[in-house]
Amino acid sequence: MGEQIRERPLWLLWSVATIVLWGLWGLVSKIASNGVDVYVNQLLYTAGLAPLMLFVGWTVWKHSAKEDAKLRRTGIFWAFLTGILGGLGNLAFFQALVKGGEASIVAPVTALFPMVTVLLAVIFLKERLGRTQWVGLGLAFVAIYLLSA
Amino acid sequence: MQVWLGFAMLALVFWGITGVTQKLSTNAISSERSFLWFCWAMVALSAAVLVVARPHAGLGAAVMWSAIAGGALNGLGAWTSFRALESGGKASIVISMISLYPLLTVGLAVMFLGERLTGKQLIGAIVAIAAAILLSLEASPQEKVV
Repeated sequence: MGEQIRERPLWLLWSVATIVLWGLWGLVSKIASNGVDVYVNQLLYTAGLAPLMLFVGWTVWKHSAKEDAKLRRTGIFWAFLTGILGGLGNLAFFQALVKGGEASIVAPVTALFPMVTVLLAVIFLKERLGRTQWVGLGLAFVAIYLLSA
Repeated sequence: MQVWLGFAMLALVFWGITGVTQKLSTNAISSERSFLWFCWAMVALSAAVLVVARPHAGLGAAVMWSAIAGGALNGLGAWTSFRALESGGKASIVISMISLYPLLTVGLAVMFLGERLTGKQLIGAIVAIAAAILLSLEASPQEKVV
């Protein structure tokens, strides 16, 4: 019980930190969009990522577990593809801001990306949707319509 | 369709695909190693971008530091979200909670950038966040799946 009480604030703290960090990211991206093009932004964005990359790289090196080589190659392939797609998504997100999209509209629209994940998971991973996810999917279309009005 | 909306939808599609590829990656390797290779891909993409990018010395300090902060904040956010899951938070609760981040962006944009939402857009923002939360919830065993 005592452990539960101690643990709860920790995940809650990390979750709130995530909200704050990503919430601020939307704001600073809009500020940056007023002065740099999408390509220069990608370069500066990666520069901002570099210190964290060093820290995570050190952690991975220090706690490197023995992983199956084939499994590791597969995992790295998908992680690298995730980075490329994520980067292309960043370019599109930033271009939306450069092209006049307001941060207060672009952030909620792009936050609907789980709708694509859910559809792809149904098609390619053969996952099945619950009623709540179907409702979420329907609401996502309504939200896009309202936000683009 | 407005140009910005087209790009926003494109971002939504790319990031949506990453939801699947990220899962395939973390099924095979640790979240830290996955994140590290995600970052290496960002470096590779930036190297490719160098071919078309035209960096110039006249960038304003505020703009330049905002762009750099963008990378740091987004990357740190991804890292803290992993930590939230590893600290014992249930995925359905943590992911639903962090889906609230656009609320903060909307609030900050209204406060600091002077942006104004119409009534329709305000409802749209709230519906979008509700949709993101519902989409992130995994179906319970009792729930009827379709």
